[in-house]
Amino acid sequence: MRVHQFHPTLAPGDAMSNHVFALRKKIRHWGYESFAYAVEAKPGVADVRSYRRLFRDVKPEDLLIVHFSMGSEVVDQLIKIPSRRVLVYHNITPPEFFSGINPHAAAFARLGLRQLSRIAPAFELGIGVSEFNRRALVEAGYEETTRVPILLDWEHFALPPNDAVLARWKGLRTVLLFVGRISPNKRQDDLVRMLAYYRRCIDPEAQLILVGAYRDQPQFHARVVALIERLGLGGAVWFAGSVDDASLLACYRAATAFVSLSEHEGFGVPLLEAMRFRLPVVAYDAAAVGETVGDAGVLLRERDLAETAEAAAMVGEPSALREALVAAGERRVKDFDPEKVGERTRQVLGL
Amino acid sequence: MGEPKPVDLDALMAEVRERIRIKREKGIYGPDVEALMRVPLPGGRRIFADDLQDPLASLAEALDEEVEYDPRSRKPVVGPVITYARKVVISLVRWWMGAILERQERINRLLAAAYDYEGQMAPRFGSRLERLEREWKEWREQEVAANLHSVYFQARFGGDEPVIRRQSEAFVDLYKGRKRVLDLGSGRGIFLQLLKDRGIGGYGVDLDPRMVAEAREKGLEAHEVDALTHLRQVEAGSVDGLYARHLAEHILPGQLVEILRACRRALAPGAPLVFITPNPATLTVGAHTFWMDPQHLRPIPPDLFKFYLEVEGYTDVEVRTFEPSEKRLREDGDSNRRENIRLLNDTLFGDRDYAVIGHAPK
Repeated sequence: MRVHQFHPTLAPGDAMSNHVFALRKKIRHWGYESFAYAVEAKPGVADVRSYRRLFRDVKPEDLLIVHFSMGSEVVDQLIKIPSRRVLVYHNITPPEFFSGINPHAAAFARLGLRQLSRIAPAFELGIGVSEFNRRALVEAGYEETTRVPILLDWEHFALPPNDAVLARWKGLRTVLLFVGRISPNKRQDDLVRMLAYYRRCIDPEAQLILVGAYRDQPQFHARVVALIERLGLGGAVWFAGSVDDASLLACYRAATAFVSLSEHEGFGVPLLEAMRFRLPVVAYDAAAVGETVGDAGVLLRERDLAETAEAAAMVGEPSALREALVAAGERRVKDFDPEKVGERTRQVLGL
Repeated sequence: MGEPKPVDLDALMAEVRERIRIKREKGIYGPDVEALMRVPLPGGRRIFADDLQDPLASLAEALDEEVEYDPRSRKPVVGPVITYARKVVISLVRWWMGAILERQERINRLLAAAYDYEGQMAPRFGSRLERLEREWKEWREQEVAANLHSVYFQARFGGDEPVIRRQSEAFVDLYKGRKRVLDLGSGRGIFLQLLKDRGIGGYGVDLDPRMVAEAREKGLEAHEVDALTHLRQVEAGSVDGLYARHLAEHILPGQLVEILRACRRALAPGAPLVFITPNPATLTVGAHTFWMDPQHLRPIPPDLFKFYLEVEGYTDVEVRTFEPSEKRLREDGDSNRRENIRLLNDTLFGDRDYAVIGHAPK
C-alpha cells in the first residue's frame, strides 16, 4: 500500500504545504511509500509529482489523501480513481471576505464550498485540522469526521535566525508581529488601525511587521498601503512578504508581541509558531483561533482595537505576566507535539 | 513539580480596561484617536465584514450597485484583437447573462421586500429571533417542570385507578345511547373502558404515547394527538359526546376557550360535554393540593368555567361538585357553632373536584 497526497498548489512557506510535506515524512518513516502531487508546484518546493501521474500511480489498495482548501476541477476526476480516499479540510475562506474586493476570489471560494459538499460521498473519512473545520465538514455532509491537528515540523526552524532582520528591529520597545497572507479575512487593515492607537496612546515609536505573501490579494494590499498613508503611518509598517525560515524565525525573535485580528483561520499555525519562539500572543477569538490558542494567549472576545493595543503592550513589557504567558505558550505547543499528532494521524488513517 | 498556574486573563483584561479608562480621562485617548481607528479602507468598497456590521445600510447600497466591465485591452499589438474577441463573447452571452441577472434581481427585490429593510427589521434579526424562540421554549419547559422525571412523579402522586374509575362512573350515564364519544386526555383508557362496558361507542386522544399504547392494549381506540389539533380535524358534528377529565388545568385560559370553540364545531347538536377539574372553591385544594402537580398552570373557579361554557353557546350548563375531602372538623356544640363549623368545613374541606356540564346547542 502507498499513500498519495494531493493539493492543487504546493508552495514554500505555506502552512498547508508544510503539513503535506511533514505528513509525507512521517508516513515514509512508518515504512510506506508516499508521494505529494500538485497541479502547480511553486518554485522552491522539491520532490512534488505532477497530478497527472496520480491516474497511473494510484492502485485500488492505496490511500489517497486529498487536502482541500480551494475548489479544483482535478478533485472531481481524482475521486473517480478506485482507492481508499480521505479528505483533510484546511478550510476555505468564506467568499464574503472577498466580496467587493476580489470578485474572482469570492467566486472561487463559492465554487470550492459547493464542491466540498458535492464530493462528500466519495470519502470514507473527513479530517478537520481543527474542531471548527470538523464541524464545517459535518455541515457539508460528511458522515465520518474526526479532528487531527496540523502536523507541525519544527525541524525546518533548526537554523540560526537571519541576522540582518534581527539587527533591523534591535532595541525597539514595541515591535508587533502578525504572520499570514495579506488577505481581507486576516484583517491586516485593522492591525494598521490598531497601530494608529498604539502610536498615539502607548508608544509613538511602535512598529508593525506583516509577514505574508501579498501577491494573491493585490487589491487588498494596495488598499491597506493607502490606509497606512492616510493614517500617517508610513515607515511604521513593514510588509515583509513571503520570507524564508531564517527571516521568519528572526521576526518571531525580534517582535515583542504577536497580534492577530484575523476573522477567519482554519487552524492558525503562526499562533503556535509564536508560542514556540517565546512570543506572547494577543488574538481576536474567531473561527479556529480560540481552540488553537487555548488559555495560552490573550483571547479577545470583543473586537476592540484599543483593548487589543493595550493588551499587546501589557504582554510586550518584560514582567512576570509575560513570562507566565510565554511559559503557558510553550506548554500549549506541546499539546500539538508532532509525535502525538503523528500517532493520532496513523491511527485515524489505519496505517 | 506542581501544575503551573494558568495566567489570570480576566485580571489582565481588567487592567487593560483600567488603562484605557485613565487614558480617556486624561484626554490621551480622545475622539481624534477614535476617528483614526474608524478611517475606512481607501480606494473602494468597505470590507464585507464591516458591511455586515450595518447590513441594512449596506444592503440598500448594494442593491443599487452597477457591475461595470471594460472590455478594452491595453496590450500592444494584440490589444485590439483581444478587445474585439471580448466584445464578440459579450454579445454572444448577453441574453443568457441577462436572464441570470433578471433572476438575481428578482431574488434581490423579493428578499429586500421579505426583510423589509427600510422598515422595522433590525440587524441580526434572525439570530435574535432564534434566541427568543430558544428562551421561550426553555421558559415553557421550566414553567411545567418538563425536566421532572414523570415516572417517579406518577408513582408518587399519580391518580389512583379505582378512584378515577369511581369518579368516571358517575358521568357515564350522561352518554347513554351515544355512538361516538370523545375522551380528551384519555390516559390509560379507564373512561373509555366504562363506555365500552355499557355499549357506548367512544374513543380517546392523548399526548403521551405510553398511555395511548396502554389503552390500545386493552382493545380501546386511542390516538396520539393533541386535543385542539384533533378537534379541528374531525368532521363537524361527528362527535356526539365529549369528556375531558383533568385537562383544563393544564392549559392556559385562551387555549381552553379555543378548545371549547373547537368542541362546539365537532359536537353534534344536543351532545353533552363534561369537563372535570380540581375545585379551587375548596381552599385546601386551591391553596395546596392543586399545586401538587407542577404541570398545573392555573386553577379555574367553577363559576368562571360555567361562564366560559355559556358564553361559547352551550346550553343547560350546570356545575356538579364531588369527591368530598376526607378531613372534616367535628360539627358539635350549639346550633350557631355547628352552623359556623359547617361553613368552615365547606370552605376548607369541601368537594375536591367539580364537573361543568353543558350541551351543544340544538
